[in-house]
Amino acid sequence: MELFRLEHKKLWRKTSVRISVLLCFAYVVIFGGVLSYQWFEFGSSHDVTSAFGNNFDGYAMIRSYQARADSYGAYLTDGALQRMVRDIQQDNDRGIYWQNADSRSTVSGYLSQLYPELEDADNAYPTLMEYYVDSARLTDFYGRRQAALEQFLHLQGQGTGEERAMLLAMNGKVDEPFRYGWVRGWQFVLGNSLADLGVIMALFLAVVLAPTFSGEWHSNTAPLLLTTDGGWRRLARVKVLSGLAFAIELFALLAAGGVAAQLVYLGTAGWDMPIQTMKLLAVAPMNMLQAEIYEYAFALLGAIGFTGVVMLLSALVKSNVLALLLSLAAAYGPMMIAQYLPYGLQSALGLLPLVGSGTDIFRTNTFHIFGKYIWSPYLLITVPVLIGLICIPFAVMKWSRRQRA
Amino acid sequence: MDLSFDRLTKHYGGKIAVDRVSATLTPGVYGLLGANGAGKTTLMRMLCGILEPTSGEVFWDGKEVTGLGAAYRNVLGYLPQDFGCYPHYTAAEFLSYIAVLKGLPRDTVQRRIRELLDTVGLRGAAGKKLRTFSGGMKQRVGIAQALLNDPQVLILDEPTSGLDPKERVHLRNLLADYAGDRIVILSTHIVSDVEAIADEVLMMKAGSFILRGAVPELVRQAEGKVWELTVPAARARAWQARATVANFRHEGDRVVLRIISDERPGSQAVPCRPTMEDLYLYHFGEEA
Repeated sequence: MELFRLEHKKLWRKTSVRISVLLCFAYVVIFGGVLSYQWFEFGSSHDVTSAFGNNFDGYAMIRSYQARADSYGAYLTDGALQRMVRDIQQDNDRGIYWQNADSRSTVSGYLSQLYPELEDADNAYPTLMEYYVDSARLTDFYGRRQAALEQFLHLQGQGTGEERAMLLAMNGKVDEPFRYGWVRGWQFVLGNSLADLGVIMALFLAVVLAPTFSGEWHSNTAPLLLTTDGGWRRLARVKVLSGLAFAIELFALLAAGGVAAQLVYLGTAGWDMPIQTMKLLAVAPMNMLQAEIYEYAFALLGAIGFTGVVMLLSALVKSNVLALLLSLAAAYGPMMIAQYLPYGLQSALGLLPLVGSGTDIFRTNTFHIFGKYIWSPYLLITVPVLIGLICIPFAVMKWSRRQRA
Repeated sequence: MDLSFDRLTKHYGGKIAVDRVSATLTPGVYGLLGANGAGKTTLMRMLCGILEPTSGEVFWDGKEVTGLGAAYRNVLGYLPQDFGCYPHYTAAEFLSYIAVLKGLPRDTVQRRIRELLDTVGLRGAAGKKLRTFSGGMKQRVGIAQALLNDPQVLILDEPTSGLDPKERVHLRNLLADYAGDRIVILSTHIVSDVEAIADEVLMMKAGSFILRGAVPELVRQAEGKVWELTVPAARARAWQARATVANFRHEGDRVVLRIISDERPGSQAVPCRPTMEDLYLYHFGEEA
């Protein structure tokens, strides 16, 4: 325990670690959280060409968006949708844009997916259906959603057999009508902030943890450590624990900051909305809170898995620079090459730590393994951490063997 | 208590770093002397068990050290050449870290660290970060860490490098005092350090021991090979080119040369009393 405490202290004492954590926190919580809520993302806009043209009034705007969404009732019914469209059209007629801009994007998505036949090709802006569609024709929302989902599965090649049955069974557990509230705040949290968390953590985890083992050669302390009684193997275990603790601490810091900013700006309203209000054709019977928990768990487990991979790479080489490059390549290499690979390989690469996406809960992707269809989020959350845990004993072993090189 | 090694050999590819060296070391101070690349560090690393010999074995009290593992490391203290440390740790934290790695009992660690920092003259700097330390201060921290577990075998690779003359004398006294019933092996280029404290000198060249013995005994081997010759200043350079000159001292317009040579270098040359440094130059004159 004492050795762990000292090793952990050693890690945090490094200037590079402190700067990395500070930068990561600033980027994720300050830039991607507080400033995004208050300015870039939700500040009222008079200059649509740049988020920097927004006003610094996100907090007040969010309150007005939430109040407006709440005015349509607690559930998303045909009547509620019709009222939303009517309000958008009335505001537009009066030249008011910003007050409905937020719900407009959500409604626009519903209409284009569920009522494509209402699109007027002769209209100057045919895709902006919410401005001209006859609201009275917006009926049978849930019947149309079911049909659109089945059509989507068919187009995805998931339209028959066991896979279709599995996905539709999941969808069958989604409560209807949907609880409804202000969607875009959750969309920002689940689709932007949290979706990028793993990608950013990968960079900083690599910078901080790549020298864990290789750094001992770099700082020329390896010969000294080798002659100690506790020696190599015990130290290796402590280094691994310290690295894992750091990954968890970094995650906790970012998560705490992110959740605090979210609570201040968005509050808890809408936590029980199904994710289908955000992505109509999602099949997972999850509400926003569950989706957020999943995405945080995805980032945490991915970070732990990535830590294991970085530890192994650090133990394999004696150069800090090489360890860092390999660690970065382990996360960003697969992301870069994925688009050039067949779909099956792309999916497989997504199972590597911090390479896949937590937003797969909004999709219908599956893995077909040993004749069974498995919904991709189940594997995307478990396999990366397993990969990392498998790497750890090899890292310890490799580091231990180096002693007599 | 003895540390012995038998035909210890290390090859790096086709290069022989240490070539079948054998010795049995009992308590005392052993000075490992040799030019750069003579094999001193390689030998020390093999004695510490951190470098696998190509062939040969190391024994501690008759038992092969690889088999002893942690039991051998428990009695070992090692200061590597170019000792590395963690710059963001304070001296006390660094020593605590090594103490824990060495498995020192928790209740004695802080007391031992205070004692050692006192011993190496760093008590006032215990709370300062190592990155602020001079080379000599870091070296003293290195020596303190090697002594943490009160080792029976203390192996110091170039312990006096980076130390100023006062610190060197202090370290020499410390080691001489420490040795007692322990085995202390130190390597150095600084012949006077070895001369001052080594009970026995092991001189290495090209991976082999070329000389071994107590200092006076070895110095005697250089008798009749050290000469003093006074020449005009203009001819001094020519002498330097054709003989091993240990010293060069101006006296008015003439120069007194201390020459190492098997033969009397000139009719005016007078024999002088040899030192360990003369012996070293006798063997390593060209490399020096």
